[in-house]
Amino acid sequence: MSRAAFEFLLDGEIREISVDIRDGALVVHEGGRVLETGVRRVSANEIRLRFGDRSVRVFLAKDGERTWVAVDGRQYVVSEARAETGRPGEGDERTAGGSLRVKAPMPGKVTKLAVSEGENVRRNQTLVIVEAMKMENEIKTSIDGVVAKVHVAAGDLVDAEKILIEIEPKTA
Amino acid sequence: MFRKILIANRGEIAVRVIKACREMGIGSVAVFSEADAAALHVRLADEAVPLGPPPAAESYLHMEKIVAAARASGAEAVHPGYGFLAENAAFARLCETEGLVFIGPSSAALELVGDKVRARQTMEKAGVPTVPGMKSCSASAEEFRAAARALGYPVMVKASAGGGGKGMRVVPDEDGLGPALEAGRREARSAFGDGSVYLEKCIEEPRHVEFQVLADNDGRTVHLFERECSIQRRHQKILEESPSPTLDPGLRREMGETAVRAMRAAGYNNAGTVEFLLDKERRFYFLEVNARLQVEHPVTELVTGVDLVRQQILIASGAPLALRQEDLAQRGHAIECRIYAEDPKTNFLPSAGRIAFLREPKGPGIRFDSGVAEGFEVPVYYDPILAKLIVWAEDREAARRRMAVALEDCVILGIRTTVGFLGDVVGHPEFRAGRVTTSFIGKHFASWGTGEGEDDRERLALAAAAFEALSPGGSAAGAAGPGRRTAAATPWTTLGRWRAGGEP
Repeated sequence: MSRAAFEFLLDGEIREISVDIRDGALVVHEGGRVLETGVRRVSANEIRLRFGDRSVRVFLAKDGERTWVAVDGRQYVVSEARAETGRPGEGDERTAGGSLRVKAPMPGKVTKLAVSEGENVRRNQTLVIVEAMKMENEIKTSIDGVVAKVHVAAGDLVDAEKILIEIEPKTA
Repeated sequence: MFRKILIANRGEIAVRVIKACREMGIGSVAVFSEADAAALHVRLADEAVPLGPPPAAESYLHMEKIVAAARASGAEAVHPGYGFLAENAAFARLCETEGLVFIGPSSAALELVGDKVRARQTMEKAGVPTVPGMKSCSASAEEFRAAARALGYPVMVKASAGGGGKGMRVVPDEDGLGPALEAGRREARSAFGDGSVYLEKCIEEPRHVEFQVLADNDGRTVHLFERECSIQRRHQKILEESPSPTLDPGLRREMGETAVRAMRAAGYNNAGTVEFLLDKERRFYFLEVNARLQVEHPVTELVTGVDLVRQQILIASGAPLALRQEDLAQRGHAIECRIYAEDPKTNFLPSAGRIAFLREPKGPGIRFDSGVAEGFEVPVYYDPILAKLIVWAEDREAARRRMAVALEDCVILGIRTTVGFLGDVVGHPEFRAGRVTTSFIGKHFASWGTGEGEDDRERLALAAAAFEALSPGGSAAGAAGPGRRTAAATPWTTLGRWRAGGEP
């Protein structure tokens, strides 16, 4: 038996686990929780986990640093925690000063700017509309605040993770 | 019969039409943009003609380029698929004047049903019930406000050239009217090149039931029963089935006859669909004609046994319709799930990227109409539909269970897809009971991703990733593995025992 520790990002969320491996079984420790599962490799991309009285099909595929995992038809992306910081898919980020950097979640075209610098915004208010795959996607703020900086204009083509707008949080 | 057909489309529908051509002994010509040079439809067609840069306006929507491609390849007919130029009367007319057969309705019929406002007037005259709404699009802001008040909120903004939910907005009250009109116009202009919108009364919690119709060039018209398409998100259908769990034989007959009457009134030929809304009192209203092959046509094919693409090609070649209404029947039950490149965990944002792994579901009664292959880079420029999973079984519950298993067996990795979400829709008790309305997704799936068993699934995903990182037999062979920080002991000697991947 041996134990290995991992610091994973699961869909962008840090998860620290340690894993004991025995004959055909994995024991996963996370915080105080323990999950035990039988494991069998079916092919390069498929393993079968025995969990309780269920046999769970799991498919895996590597994509650079990321491992895509499908469990019961649900997808997860698992990657190394440190290598992931600032990678695409991380979503909006908060700066040290507490302001929110709202990013384009996918590549597309800015079809409308709904706010301008200095404007007060409420949580869930639409800031920008980015069109991708022929659908309009409303990009909203997750905080109340003031628009500190607008980095794009209507008509701009933006890449994923491009910072669109910065919001200063409202000081009470 | 034609010797060669050009398919003016991409993705799964282009693949579907190419297969029909092969079965009929007709040569197929694909067209493709620079983003699709390695796409499945290009590989499968007998010939392929490049159209140019990826944006649709410079490729799949560029009429002159497509006509030139047909000319150069010697194709005699053009199948437009759905979307892009499928319902574009100007394109149908261009084909007609260039001596190419447009596999679809005549430009006159397309013009009539494509103008939603004129289509409604024609239907009203033919005695087909319609949703109350504005008679014209040319209205001032004040006229729109007055019309909305007269109809009574909630009202619906609709694009006159619309389809597929583009340009549509529900307006709950007068404050929302201005922004909804503006957004609807913008979306309609970018999707159809025509920003005209109008207002309709919003029927609350309706069911969406549509009838498939085939009509030959001499007006012989039959319907091939209904498809229930109530499961929608942002007015986009995501799951369709036939028969509808709602209709009884009497209502089915009445709606079917109305659909045939509607298409005759429009002078319609080739394959088309009459969409109805069914309200809580089971009254039905004409919504619109979809003047094309529908995305969800396979459910009709599975329950009626009629190949709709083959029928479209036969009709376009001038053959009389060989199907008679009295010979058509529904047998068993079919369900279709649309698999989109969208992330259900982030409010269905489109997800582009490379398909790292693809495992197609197979088995009795399972059909997978796919436009993608492993290694294909899903472009950002077009509709995010990747594939359609369609199942058939003796009855609805058997079909539902077959779909649940087929979705589990449908594995697409490397981009986010809606597969897991569809699995939860199919497993929902209200869906199982057949209680589906267009509010189903909003009502039962307002948030998704934290469902039952999610904790366990996440931990199993982590366990699998750890196993992958540590197992030298896996696809991660040679890599240090993601996230591996420390190994307290040396796992490799122990791991040797499982390397063969045999029984635990």
